[in-house]
Amino acid sequence: MKRRGFMGLAAVGAVATLALAACGGGSSSSSGGGGGSGGSSGPSGFNAAVTGVVNPSNTKSTGTLTYGLSSTPDSTDPGNTYYAFMWNFTRLYTMPLMTYASSPGSAGLKVVPDLATAPGTVSDNGLTWTYHLKTNVKFEDGTPVTSEDVKYAVERTFDRSLFPLGPSYYPLLLGGNAAKYPGPFKDRSKNLMGLTAIATPDAHTVVFHLAKPFADFNYVAAIPQSAPVPPNKDTGANYQLHPMSTGPYKFQSYQLNKQLTLVPNTNWNPATDPQAKQLVSKITVTMNMNANDIDNRLLAGDLDVDMAGSGVQAAARAKILSSTSLKAQADNPISGFLWFAYLNTVVPPMNNVHCRMAIEYAANKTNLQTAYGGPFAGGQIASTVSPPNVVGHKSFDLYEATTKPGGDVAKAKEQLKLCGQPNGFTTGIAYRSDRPKEVAAATALQQALSLAGIKTTLHGYPAGTYYANFAGVPKYMHQHNIGIAFGGWAPDWPDGYGFFDFITAGNTISPAGNTNIEELNDPVVNDLLAKYGTTTDEATRNSYTAQIDMQVMKDAGILPEVYAKSLLYRNANLTNVYVQPYYGMYNYAVLGLK
Amino acid sequence: MVTFIVRRLIATIFLLVVVSMVTYAVFFLIPRLAGQNSYQLATQYVGRNPTRAAVLDIEQKLGLNEPLWVQYGRFIRGLAFGEHYNSGTSSTYCPPPCFGYSFRSQQAVWPLMVSSLPVTISLAIGAAILWLVGGVAIGVVSALKRGTLFDRFSMGIALAGVSLPIFFTGLLSLALFSYKWPIFPNVTFVPFTQNPLLWARNLVLPWVTLAFLYAALYARLTRAGMLETMSEDYIRTARAKGLNERTVIIKHGLRAALTPIITIFGMDLGALLGGAVITEHTFSLNGLGQFTILAIDNQDLPEILGVTMLAAFFIIIANLAVDILYAVVDPRVRH
Repeated sequence: MKRRGFMGLAAVGAVATLALAACGGGSSSSSGGGGGSGGSSGPSGFNAAVTGVVNPSNTKSTGTLTYGLSSTPDSTDPGNTYYAFMWNFTRLYTMPLMTYASSPGSAGLKVVPDLATAPGTVSDNGLTWTYHLKTNVKFEDGTPVTSEDVKYAVERTFDRSLFPLGPSYYPLLLGGNAAKYPGPFKDRSKNLMGLTAIATPDAHTVVFHLAKPFADFNYVAAIPQSAPVPPNKDTGANYQLHPMSTGPYKFQSYQLNKQLTLVPNTNWNPATDPQAKQLVSKITVTMNMNANDIDNRLLAGDLDVDMAGSGVQAAARAKILSSTSLKAQADNPISGFLWFAYLNTVVPPMNNVHCRMAIEYAANKTNLQTAYGGPFAGGQIASTVSPPNVVGHKSFDLYEATTKPGGDVAKAKEQLKLCGQPNGFTTGIAYRSDRPKEVAAATALQQALSLAGIKTTLHGYPAGTYYANFAGVPKYMHQHNIGIAFGGWAPDWPDGYGFFDFITAGNTISPAGNTNIEELNDPVVNDLLAKYGTTTDEATRNSYTAQIDMQVMKDAGILPEVYAKSLLYRNANLTNVYVQPYYGMYNYAVLGLK
Repeated sequence: MVTFIVRRLIATIFLLVVVSMVTYAVFFLIPRLAGQNSYQLATQYVGRNPTRAAVLDIEQKLGLNEPLWVQYGRFIRGLAFGEHYNSGTSSTYCPPPCFGYSFRSQQAVWPLMVSSLPVTISLAIGAAILWLVGGVAIGVVSALKRGTLFDRFSMGIALAGVSLPIFFTGLLSLALFSYKWPIFPNVTFVPFTQNPLLWARNLVLPWVTLAFLYAALYARLTRAGMLETMSEDYIRTARAKGLNERTVIIKHGLRAALTPIITIFGMDLGALLGGAVITEHTFSLNGLGQFTILAIDNQDLPEILGVTMLAAFFIIIANLAVDILYAVVDPRVRH
């Protein structure tokens, strides 16, 4: 009797389980398996999407393009985001004044008009930038976009209590009342359209008046903050839940930090937005997923794109690299990110350049590369500060990083003598203790430096407060005798100014949240960066990039470790797949499904 | 009984206040004691390379520059009476219990937590039913069939269940039944109201994984309890009275053996409702557990505080329910 009851229960359970398994349907319609072939045309194989377009197609699909994200966006509001993957993703629902050319290879580093008809025209004194808007761009509700919507979009980013997460370039660059303008929300009747530095002489012209010349302004205009926002549809902090779309897709629903669904924007005109495509009937983003689960679903064909774009985890990496068929569907681009160590120019004895040079020579770059994940997941050994995908980058090697990647102890000791520390010295190394790769890198550097007689103590800090409370606080670094700090850097735009300004300009040193952690205040570097701001000739600007890079390396203010690379997996079901070089990830604005 | 419940509810409120004070102290007082000022704290909540004005703006908005007791007082006031938040273009009222305003997402915390609750409740309740029914049934049968092949086999499985961590069994179940043989592909939470079948299908693997751990524990506990109870004198008396075996086992044996099970069940369910962190993370389910991980990653104090208090609330309420159930199951408590 009891046995029968127990077995009956088990049988009912088994039947129910099978029934449930049979009747549920997956939410993704992309059923392409992980082992399928490339596409009907275009290049295929390992790294095919780095230099070319895999599965080029303009065919519309009724399927759902599914994204998975192991974290959450900082914000989906184009005025309040600083994450690279979000700048990439916002192109699906916004049109900033400028954007990056949708193209693989170096062409994709070029900034081109998006909402504007042409790049901004600058006045002779470099203080006025004028953009003319395309006349037939509409919001998702059919309302035409006007210059006032662009002005308002920039205005609202001045309220940093509501939008603290985006970049601060407009308050820093604009003239007029920009330094004291509180944004359009406080005393709205007075401040709405009250930013005097932006003029809208007609419905399709926006004029920016700068406080000082800034030749990179077209890059600033390519940040999503310039995407138009209609003042009467702005819901402030809640705008992130449904930004008014001007791009190919619009928000259908968004459960904050959990699930986002986009559907085609019927008021989008492809003729006005050649940098984006509208090829699927729905896009979903599932957020806050387990990173390994994302990889496994990608490989199983249950998920189309890993939205973070930073590459697969170690387990999937091993699987992909050991399988010919899986590797043929992977790409290993340079991401534009540099992993490096700041060498502080103020903390004694590292205020002597020779002591810093000793560290440059002694560091074992191969071990550092291994610590970051090796040549595929870590990156390529770096000998310069700027990665190869920065416009104007020139390759050089002052400290034998590539010719003697194991380190040169003899030369390090020579430099120590010149520094007046022939027996070495003692300093601290700061790193983020919750980042295993950085922990391994700090340990590797400590071991390499000890061979030259440089004794180091390791100081691990949480990543969340690393810049705010520890490495980014010069006073803290001085008090604790920390001369070396690990970090990583990707530029806000891919030219020399974008890359170097915040990490090397003397005027960016700040008491907390500092990113010029080496506290470099070299007049040569400062002067080159200042000239960069006023020079519009491209060749001259590019020459500055290499000069700044060379000077920072001569100063030994930064120990470059690796030009970061990531291993991306291309779902075989995707069309128009290629790595947008500026983002170092697939271009989300053009993806489609077979 | 009513006095008992009222007394326990008052104690519950007192406990929650203590929990909130401790959490507040951990995340705000300790950093200050370590030398961090409010400007540095505010720097965590702005984007990279912020202007000084931007940091000061957010410092003021979050009230970080005010004395700790003022900040804490505002939090308690919000809990009791609700709070108005300025979202720029309008003022949003956050009704009580208002757990504050998220530093990161610029949204009231309570609705964010509420939106995570269906996932956690679905997960916890489903798994709880599985492990309670499965664990107790196996425990009872094992006790009654002591020393048989079934007893040895089921106790061996139980030992494995207790020993294997969820992130192992969870990953194994995903690897086998989701990735390799897609019987349960795309494990994603679908609301019950939207599609009950898909809701259940997508939760089968998490339920089974979670239940496997707990069922093993409950099977062993039930077996031990039943073995002890069935050797009691009153069981022999019941049999001697001529009662049938079914009545003896269920009414006299199982009822007594269930008392400790109810205690631990209340605690386990209460703790799970506060967020099945590892299970939710393994299966990418956005419940309170994932919400907690994200809140900690973001150093989002109001969210951390909210989820801590909610978890404490669930545990305390579960304890209260256990105490009341005790009275039902064990007549000695009633008298």
